[in-house]
Amino acid sequence: MIMTDKCILLIDDEETIQEVVQVGIEIEVGWQVAIASSGLEGINLARTEQPDAILLDVMMPELDGISTLSQLKANVQTRSIPVIFLTAKTQAAEKEQFQNLGVVDVITKPFNAMTLASRIAKILDWEL
Amino acid sequence: MGGRKKFPTKKLFLQAIFESSLEAIFIVDQRDRIVEVNAAACELFNQIEKKLIGSSIANLCGCSLDCFKESAIQEVKIKHSNGTITTLEYSRVSNILPSYSLLVFRDVTNLQRAVAAELHRQHQRVQLFAEVTLNIRRSLQLKEILQTAVTEVQRILQADRVLIYQVLANGTGMPISEAVLPEYEPILGIEFPEEVFPEDYRQLYAGGRVNAIANVHATEAGLAECLIDFMNEWKVKAKLVVPILQNLKSQSKPNGDRLWGLLIAHQCQAPRQWSEFELELMQQLADQVGIALSQAELLENLEDLVAERTAKLSQANKNLQQEINVRLKAESALRRSEEQLRLIANGLPVLIAYVDQQQHYRFNNEAYQNWLGLPPSEINGCHLQKVHGEAEYKQIQTYVETALTGQTVTYEQDIALIDGCVHSLSITYIPHLIEQNKLDVVQGFFALTSDISDRKAIERMKDEFIAVVSHELRTPLTSIHSSLKILATGKLGNLSTKGQRMLQIADEQTERLVRLVNNVLDLQRIQSGKVRMTKKACNASELMIEAVQTMQAMAQEQGVKLLVEPVNFVVWADHDYIVQTLTNLLSNAIKFSPSRSTVWLSATNTKHKPIDYITFAVQDQGQGIPKDGLETIFERFQQVDSSDSRKKGGTGLGLAICRQIVEGHGGEIWAESSLETGSTFYFTLPALIQLGVNDHDG
Repeated sequence: MIMTDKCILLIDDEETIQEVVQVGIEIEVGWQVAIASSGLEGINLARTEQPDAILLDVMMPELDGISTLSQLKANVQTRSIPVIFLTAKTQAAEKEQFQNLGVVDVITKPFNAMTLASRIAKILDWEL
Repeated sequence: MGGRKKFPTKKLFLQAIFESSLEAIFIVDQRDRIVEVNAAACELFNQIEKKLIGSSIANLCGCSLDCFKESAIQEVKIKHSNGTITTLEYSRVSNILPSYSLLVFRDVTNLQRAVAAELHRQHQRVQLFAEVTLNIRRSLQLKEILQTAVTEVQRILQADRVLIYQVLANGTGMPISEAVLPEYEPILGIEFPEEVFPEDYRQLYAGGRVNAIANVHATEAGLAECLIDFMNEWKVKAKLVVPILQNLKSQSKPNGDRLWGLLIAHQCQAPRQWSEFELELMQQLADQVGIALSQAELLENLEDLVAERTAKLSQANKNLQQEINVRLKAESALRRSEEQLRLIANGLPVLIAYVDQQQHYRFNNEAYQNWLGLPPSEINGCHLQKVHGEAEYKQIQTYVETALTGQTVTYEQDIALIDGCVHSLSITYIPHLIEQNKLDVVQGFFALTSDISDRKAIERMKDEFIAVVSHELRTPLTSIHSSLKILATGKLGNLSTKGQRMLQIADEQTERLVRLVNNVLDLQRIQSGKVRMTKKACNASELMIEAVQTMQAMAQEQGVKLLVEPVNFVVWADHDYIVQTLTNLLSNAIKFSPSRSTVWLSATNTKHKPIDYITFAVQDQGQGIPKDGLETIFERFQQVDSSDSRKKGGTGLGLAICRQIVEGHGGEIWAESSLETGSTFYFTLPALIQLGVNDHDG
């Protein structure tokens, strides 16, 4: 059964990433994908939209992924939303470090947007 | 003479004696007045008897009254009226008859003169002899001695010719020194014929005969006719011949003949009677010549010895000089070579030092001093601890001790040098081994230190560059990859078959690009040491099975059978990296295996003291690897055939990564292959515990 009721918030400054993630997830599982191009925009959207999960790019100008995460975790409205990091860094040590900050998991670039939803569902233990 | 008495016959006899006695006899009374004298007494005092009778004997002699009292023989000088002085010897016999004494006088004036003359003559002879001897001895040269001898003899004897004749071994001989008056022909150097000096003569001379011939023509001379002819030839009228005998054994002739030669004086003007003195002088001089000969020989021997010794010494000296020259040359060559070595050592931008067994610096180049900012005196001969300080010494102590056990050590260290900057140094200790009793004994080690700060900086830049590039590649790759995957679903519109094929190529190549980027990053991380291997006890079987499961899909796709033999070994390893290694090796094996072939994954225990190793093996039935490629395949981008890379979609980094991982575990990786039967890739890991009996001893 395809879950169409999920809403995912993607916070990434790369427009092509925004697009392929949106299209990929829509085609794969039909979830709604909200897009934010910066950390600040993402924090606001998270508050207003209350997504089921947040995909957060680590390397961003101005407010980077880690700072954005700490603000999300500091806010009562957003602290319980599961956050998955998107990163080009692949080291295990970094992954551990990120998990300590409160992220659920880390997905390393390059990933396949067409299977991204399956990976998220697996991480968050959602039934598809 | 009224008082005179007649003597009996005996008395007459006595009177005759009294009258004819050559000694002057006086009979004196108690007051020494003459009562009787004999003829000799009258003659002595040149007085007639009458004049003498009654006169005092003291007055007569012009002496004091107490004269002539002594009974022993006394001497007295009396002065005659004509002024002549006569020396008298007298003796007194008192009271030959009561009141009469006898005084006997003898004129000894002439006797005394003769004695004095003889003494004088003897003194002169002694003086002459001493003088001649002195002259002869003045030289140590035999020739000069002989010449002096003949000259002196000629001068003293006033002979016309004096020569020294040397007797030769063959019986002949010749004059070797001569002093001859100018009017006579010299005979020097002319060999005397044998008949002139026959054997019997020779024996006589050898026995010490002195032959003085006053006249060679006189019958009593008894000279042979040939000798007289010979004498005539040289106008010899008289001759005196004395032998020169030698006393040294070495000079003696084999028959024991001591005759060395003759000292001969010739008189040519007229015959000459040779005096005893002349004979004696000649003999003594001949003796002196004999002594001189002996001395000369001794001297000659001594000189020979000295010459021989000198020759030996000079040879030894020459040899020594040569040796010194050789050594000097060697030393100079050594010095030159040392200087060159030092120049080279000083010219190098690395630190070179030699440290002895007791950890004292024994050599260092200038760079050492410059880098450490220490004068040579504070390095050379000093202990490492003193030069480097306590803290730094503690850091290097292990390496130093390892080098002193005979192992080469290389390590890197960051040290703050005199310029205040921290430098990255690469330090190598090379043990200095000397074979002793077939064993290598460590004498010390050479320390080579090079500044690799620049290299390190470049490495860091390279790492950063790779990291940035890889990272920056990932984002667009994600977009491309995802876009292609989305298109491939066909949900955005259907493509023609060719279009689908193009899409597939783009997709495959993107995946390959992703792998390449991942591998580049992996390798760079492992090589730069940024990756920390998290090692723990891992069950070898679990690692193997996990890798096989990962690769199962690929194997099935290729139609390759994947077989794993379970084992019960535990290894000390980083789980993820070893699975990656196994996966890499399996992936390669599958890639290069024909379909319907088998790839085996196994592990064996290799006993290798002090640590046991587990050897993993991935065996395929592929095309095999040429021998020259077995080593290079572990280098980066070194596939056996570069077309393989494209065909099989490899990155050329997989084996390089495997090697880095295995070496990071203290293991080894290698490949064995045959072009017919396929290849086997092995790698070892330290074994931890043996869990069961189901192990494969290798």
